[in-house]
Amino acid sequence: MVRRGSVAALALVWGLGAAAPAWAEGRLAFFASGEDLATEGFVGAQLTRDGWALTFDHIFVTVTALTAHQAEPPYDAMAGGEIQATTSVVLAGEHSFDLVEADADDRVLIGEVEAPVGHFNALSWRMTPATAGPAAGYAMVFVGTAERDGVVVPFVLRNAEARTYRCGEFVGDERKGFVVAGGMADLELTFHLDHVFGRADKAADDPTNLDALGFDAFAAGGEHEITLRGMHIGHAGEGHCDVVWE
Amino acid sequence: MWFGSDSAGRCGLALLALVLVSLAPAPPVLAHAAFLELRPVEGIAVQGRYDDGTVMAGAQMAVFAPNDPARPWLTGVTDDEGWFRFVPDPAIEGRWTVQARQAGHGAMAYVEVGGEGEAMAAVMLMAGGDEAFSPLQRGVMTASVVWGLIGTALFFQRRRAA
Repeated sequence: MVRRGSVAALALVWGLGAAAPAWAEGRLAFFASGEDLATEGFVGAQLTRDGWALTFDHIFVTVTALTAHQAEPPYDAMAGGEIQATTSVVLAGEHSFDLVEADADDRVLIGEVEAPVGHFNALSWRMTPATAGPAAGYAMVFVGTAERDGVVVPFVLRNAEARTYRCGEFVGDERKGFVVAGGMADLELTFHLDHVFGRADKAADDPTNLDALGFDAFAAGGEHEITLRGMHIGHAGEGHCDVVWE
Repeated sequence: MWFGSDSAGRCGLALLALVLVSLAPAPPVLAHAAFLELRPVEGIAVQGRYDDGTVMAGAQMAVFAPNDPARPWLTGVTDDEGWFRFVPDPAIEGRWTVQARQAGHGAMAYVEVGGEGEAMAAVMLMAGGDEAFSPLQRGVMTASVVWGLIGTALFFQRRRAA
């Protein structure tokens, strides 16, 4: 599901990084992705669980307390709880971004920070209502168009629930988060939109489809406030995260 | 037998054995002699499964050694029961990482490999996790790790052909 372009290959210099002075630093970039379901929409075989095609003009997300951790021991998202870390770096402030305005790898750069050498093997962030901008008052906003059987409806779905995601290591085509002196590493907040709308190409009794909203409830179009409580949208690549709802 | 622990109660794993077939030059008096040497070794077994109990048959597996953690040391596929077995290089001490991926779900497991002559210990299992008792947990993959320490020279067999 995660298809990513290449990131700096750090393996060859890992040994050098491990031996670098304690003050040695590199940089760590934070990306967000809604994958192809955000940039291309629910199209083709990937319709919503109830057969709607969705395309998005915007998917606004707002986060704070975006933190990368060198967790020790590695964080077990299944067990949940606090992340125990020897080192953490924070991308300070409130960050709103649009998952539709992504690069060729479906990623949006949120920001980057200086980070000490080591493996950042855990990630946490808080989704919170934006204090300004087009999504003010909401943590997540979907703006788009739905189509089924010739019926076309524009929609705006707004979600105001604050919650915190705590994730272990990124799981995907490559391992991420290895900071070496003078180098650049990255981590990714991954939003699995099929947990919201379901997928027609999965079985009706697939757990994702059983719990997803689908789109029938919004078939009249227009603006709606939705709850996403209990849905697990936030991931680190394919790795699931512990979620704490407020 | 397999010495190990399995937090999910799945015991009775088949012994992981390394079979070495040697076709070394035969002594002059035993032309074409063949030797078959079986030597049990330390190994790691990992099972991927979803937390509704479904095993992850055919999942893509990658093993990363601690001296080169960004590049797979070994890749493979789980068997029909979701198991993947491998023998780490005991000369590479430290935390080994095992990654499992299937259909958009993934998990990591970590295993410490000690120094020469020391036991391996599965320090933890780690998997994709969701809130406790959430219905979505049914779709989340879990992984478990067992380790085996066969010891040194517990078994040695040599057959010499006439």
